[in-house]
Amino acid sequence: MMMSSLPDARQVRLIYTDGTERTVCCTAVEVPFPEGRLIVSRTDLNGIITHANDAFVEMSGYEREALIGAPQHILRHPDMPKAAFQDLWATVMRGEKWHGYVKNLRKDGSYYWVYASVVPNVRSGVIAGYTSVRRKPSRTRVAEAAARYEELVKQEAASV
Amino acid sequence: MTFNFLIAPDFAPERFAGWHMLNTALQKRSGMDLHLLTPTSAAEQAAFLANDKADLVYANPFDAAHMMRTLGYVPFARPAQRSDEMVIACAAGSAVQRVEDLKPGCRIALTDNKDIKLIGLRLLEPADIAETEVQWVIVESYQAAARLAIKQEVDAAFFLADSFASLSRMTRSQIRPLVESAIGDISHVLLAHPRVASSLPSIRAALLALQADAAGQSVLDALGMSDGFEPLSQEEAEFMIDLMDTLLD
Repeated sequence: MMMSSLPDARQVRLIYTDGTERTVCCTAVEVPFPEGRLIVSRTDLNGIITHANDAFVEMSGYEREALIGAPQHILRHPDMPKAAFQDLWATVMRGEKWHGYVKNLRKDGSYYWVYASVVPNVRSGVIAGYTSVRRKPSRTRVAEAAARYEELVKQEAASV
Repeated sequence: MTFNFLIAPDFAPERFAGWHMLNTALQKRSGMDLHLLTPTSAAEQAAFLANDKADLVYANPFDAAHMMRTLGYVPFARPAQRSDEMVIACAAGSAVQRVEDLKPGCRIALTDNKDIKLIGLRLLEPADIAETEVQWVIVESYQAAARLAIKQEVDAAFFLADSFASLSRMTRSQIRPLVESAIGDISHVLLAHPRVASSLPSIRAALLALQADAAGQSVLDALGMSDGFEPLSQEEAEFMIDLMDTLLD
């Protein structure tokens, strides 16, 4: 099915913190997290993807070649508040681990929820990059996060 | 000089002879004297490490993190095509159909293996069950865990995937997997203490070449590692440790 044929498909203009912009299409179709698996990726210090495991590639809907070298925010869903990612980056740049529930956007406009953990890769005392691991989330926690994020997104829109 | 070769205590009992065969093969092929240490518990392994008795270690991935980052051990190889996975299973006739059907207060049997417990806890998260909300039943063997599950004296049991696969056909017919991990990036590793540095190249070469001849292959088969061992770089091991760090909480 073509995404544009879905009645609930919407287009959203996203502006990222690095100043780049793109229009994304998103639908109300949720893709279930694959049982027993972990979605793993690594980025450099600038959030550019340097490694993606098979589960990451499959769930993103992109080809591996399109992911490696792309910014991690290629997965960013417009329902996610900017504040969540600001907190993520502030935390890992301090050398600490970050956890949170994240709604990710697939290439075809559908989405999937994860519980994400990001750790700095400390080598010889210096942060050399970041490893992000996503696992299957609790639906109770997802519902709580979705409500919180909806409120934050509204606040962010109102403050523009 | 004799080096001690410590094997993590979580290997399957039926592989005991295989580890002795590997030790003998490595001695012959590297020209080094190796003495096998096979602690039977995590506490016994910790005592060997505390007394600085381990020169070479076949370590489980969670212990490897401590050994590398705190004790300075150097990674050099890992089993090829063989990641550490686990299975959560229940009685075949249980009303539990998926992990989400398990509830806080449930009883889960497992062996004293913190890796399995940690990965299992992550797989329980979709059921909103925290570690403190489970009645843990620690047993001596994975066969004992299976028996408790079959008799429904526990709601589920945790197994190392290899151990689950090695259960008898009769036992497996009476239990049903709820979920099996497919992480792929976590495995046991071979580590060397820095004092082994000058001898490590010959030991490493002997280990990595086992697949090259029939005698070496038979050793690998006895270990249940027919695909042999592959080199492991410091960065590859660091990546694995970073990944495991994300699973700790």
